[in-house]
Amino acid sequence: MKEITVKVYRYNPGEDAEPYFETYTVNVNEGARVLHVLHAIHDEVDPTLAYRYSCGSGQCGSCAVRVNGEPVLACMEEARNNITIEPLNLSVKKDLVVDLVPTLETIASLKPSEASRLPTKSDIDAIKPLRSCIECLSCVSVCPAMDVTKFLGPTAMRQEMRLALDPRNIDDRITAAVQEGLFTCTSCQACWKVCPKEIQIPGKAIEKLRSLANKKGLTLPRHKEVAALVKETGRSVARTEPTFLELVNAEVIEPTGPVKATVGFFVGCMYNLRLPRTALDAIEVLRRNGIRVIIPKEQVCCGSPLIRTGQLEYLETLKQRNIDAFRFRNIDTVMTMCAGCGSTLKHDYRTPFEVLDINEILTKFGIEPPARLPIKATYHDPCHLLRGQGIRDQPRELIRQVVDLVEMPSICCGSGGGVKSGLPEEAAALGKRRGEEIKKTGADIVVSSCPFCEFHISGHTDKPVRNISTLLLEGYKEKDRKKKKNPVVH
Amino acid sequence: MLADEVVDCHVLVIGSGGAGVRAAIEASQYGDTVLISKTIVGKGGCTTMAEGGYNAVLREQDSCEIHFDDTLRGGAYLNDPELVTILVKEAPLRMKDLITWGAVFDFTDNDEVAQRPFGGQKFPRTCYAGDRTGHEMMTTLVERLDSSDVNLLQEFTVIDLLRNGESIIGAMALDEKGNLVLLKADSTILATGGGTRVYDISTNSSSGTGDGFAIGYRSGAELIDMEMIQFHPTGAVFPYDARGRLVTEAVRGEGGILLNSTGERFMKNYDPERMELSTRDVVARAIATEILNGRGTLHEGVYLDVTHLPREQIESRLPVMLEQFLKFGVDIREIPMEVAPTAHHIMGGLRITPECRTTLPGLFACGEVAGGVHGANRLGGNALAETQVFGKRAGEHAGKSENRIKNVDKEQINKQQADLEAFLVGSESPARIRTQLQHAMWKGAGIFRNADDLSKTLEIINCLPLSSIRAESPRNLNECCIVRNMCLTASLICRSALIRKESRGAHVRVDVPQTYESRQSPFGHTYISQTREGIERKRGMP
Repeated sequence: MKEITVKVYRYNPGEDAEPYFETYTVNVNEGARVLHVLHAIHDEVDPTLAYRYSCGSGQCGSCAVRVNGEPVLACMEEARNNITIEPLNLSVKKDLVVDLVPTLETIASLKPSEASRLPTKSDIDAIKPLRSCIECLSCVSVCPAMDVTKFLGPTAMRQEMRLALDPRNIDDRITAAVQEGLFTCTSCQACWKVCPKEIQIPGKAIEKLRSLANKKGLTLPRHKEVAALVKETGRSVARTEPTFLELVNAEVIEPTGPVKATVGFFVGCMYNLRLPRTALDAIEVLRRNGIRVIIPKEQVCCGSPLIRTGQLEYLETLKQRNIDAFRFRNIDTVMTMCAGCGSTLKHDYRTPFEVLDINEILTKFGIEPPARLPIKATYHDPCHLLRGQGIRDQPRELIRQVVDLVEMPSICCGSGGGVKSGLPEEAAALGKRRGEEIKKTGADIVVSSCPFCEFHISGHTDKPVRNISTLLLEGYKEKDRKKKKNPVVH
Repeated sequence: MLADEVVDCHVLVIGSGGAGVRAAIEASQYGDTVLISKTIVGKGGCTTMAEGGYNAVLREQDSCEIHFDDTLRGGAYLNDPELVTILVKEAPLRMKDLITWGAVFDFTDNDEVAQRPFGGQKFPRTCYAGDRTGHEMMTTLVERLDSSDVNLLQEFTVIDLLRNGESIIGAMALDEKGNLVLLKADSTILATGGGTRVYDISTNSSSGTGDGFAIGYRSGAELIDMEMIQFHPTGAVFPYDARGRLVTEAVRGEGGILLNSTGERFMKNYDPERMELSTRDVVARAIATEILNGRGTLHEGVYLDVTHLPREQIESRLPVMLEQFLKFGVDIREIPMEVAPTAHHIMGGLRITPECRTTLPGLFACGEVAGGVHGANRLGGNALAETQVFGKRAGEHAGKSENRIKNVDKEQINKQQADLEAFLVGSESPARIRTQLQHAMWKGAGIFRNADDLSKTLEIINCLPLSSIRAESPRNLNECCIVRNMCLTASLICRSALIRKESRGAHVRVDVPQTYESRQSPFGHTYISQTREGIERKRGMP
């Protein structure tokens, strides 16, 4: 037996003025799960603690709670000392018990008909990955779109895709899904990262439904415009000023010191056409840190805007052009600095080269220490970097070398998944929430590592928004300035 | 506390597992149907946890006769043959219902429902959806239920049936806040599932507390074969709090082997012909014997090994097992599992007719709460089939039953209210009583039994301070009622086990010398009710 102390959310609506936390210390067995801690509290300390469970083995989805903010199944998550246990982000009935039923009722059912045919093995194999959902609603608890707009949510979309794949179903689930908010998903990936069954709802359901919606002509008008632009120019945004690829003349940029590594640079539409200064800052930082950069000029859009919005027609051409651009130069490492491009190249491509984000490159080979700047920064995790590529620590490691870092919750800013272009009001509502979080941190600046996030967030905060590379470069400039002012005397 | 909430309907279904939901879907075709459930529908009960499969005769090489023989042989010839005939004949039809309604079972390359071998079968007839078969069925059934007119009362605890003389006219329940609710019905279906939570080590969900057996008994229904408890051979042994968690028979069906601590494949000493795929009673006793004789692992289990199987097979056919063990730090593709027997299923239950009528007018029963289908030992894969076959029958016959005069007996309500009020001023922790019960049952009414231990266990149960259980608040009243039900169900198990002075299937009386094989047993069902108890003798037997 071991002693364990936990903080538990308590709230009895109608009796308590507001929720509060209670701290409990109980004895549990080695290997006990969060559920067993709740049992111990209920059985030994306070029988009025309300929590829900049934199977105790991860199969029924009754017991999802948040542990230190992250949804988990209480029956499967090992209990740790000093954790905080809260209900899911749904209407609380009492303590840890939330009202699951209203959401469960929105999930569509199969309407079979006598005329429909039975599935084949290949139908079954296609449906199965979407079928193991235990409806614990962890995904609903973390979905940002559901907070600000009318969206039935991730698992409802999973079910729509499952029905769309099933020949026994006769309803038009695609039109239904569009009405239920199919296009409101920002592709933030939060849903499947908390899914105990790891069902890849964004990729396996939402993008697939959007592609079926495309075939029915239901793609949002603004998304169609983007697709047309990609087809016409190879780029997802229009040229309004000299681009990064035009501004850098050379194809190969040598570092100032000895070469530590050579990478091909996949620039991406946003840094090429909207934020070329930021990409130039990155080049400076790379040069200073021994990275030789090769920049094939014939590279085009990665295709992410098409994949996220379900417009796959032109995708293979883009992929081939990009892969060829780097393969012809025998490049074995391609660096991305746009989180969305990086995630796309890593997951939607089969590349003959390794793809690494700039944060990975800089931390892998190490950087010259910059000067510290006397400001406090907060960091916004880009969805496609944190959840799309699992990159959490590297950006923080870099930022902390320049400034003090204050954390804020990692939530989508609203710019992804085609939402900023297709449903700007929703994107603005999510951006506003980010602005509020930023304000709460008291930080002087916001740092991020994604052009979409940087561009979008700057519209919703009065604090300057910096790319990590720009911040590092400022640190180097400050260092150089100091050196000039106080030259080292030998 | 006033029972002012009254629901009136044609059919009331109590329980939301596979049997209850199937019954409600069927009953709703005949009139107003209410499904009342202790949990959220689809999440409670044991169907959703059932992993391995559903037995149905689907191939030409197989036949209902073989399925019938397998079931009777597995059940040590204690099964009610009429109920078994129905089970084997209708299991394929109910399977077809599920497929029509959208179930996603695994298919073969020929686009047929795939089947795998399970214990005690002469033909591989267990249909499956990976190792989440029950979950697949529940998902399908709940979708179908959503398209019906059934009214759902979720997270309501039924505490007793309403009686009008001999007849059952509905039930009394507590809502989640502890308010008493009356539900009047022309027909009432008990589909409350099993009750092996009365044991310390059990595979059951939180709702496997035997409420239906206790509620039925209190209302005067007769139960049969309550001593017949299936100990599943393979339950997890660690970590401590996950002990008893089911490790599906599908692991052995897919080719898993059992080894003792010396590395010996010991099933050859117990059933050399069927080895690991012998019936559950035989395998459970074999494992228990190995452990008792000092050939167990550090965690007091034996090894269940699939490391010789292709990784892909483990990943696609046993994904839930893989995921669960990984969570506890064991990669079953690399390391053998450790397992030991765990209380799994109650074969006994309310005596039913082929129409699922109990001995009380107006009361039907289906699923695990009913007795007779599985005899002295259930075959893996027959329980999921039973839920559908008898769920449908119960729903249909309850639905077709006539309207009934429903005069609620005020006395009965008053007594119930007095009981509930007593809980609010009680002093004994229900959790403590439950733990004492579970340990006593595991020790004295487990796999190997004798009259002394059974009597002692019964005595312990009778001495538990049931009259002074405490409900901390009205919301805790249901816990008190459930603990009371657990104790009653446990006492029915012990009393029935004392009545059956023979070893038969899962029931082993080590204190009774025996020379005959099960098939030659002179005994039939044990029976127990408020008015009589005993054991049937087979016709023509001494």
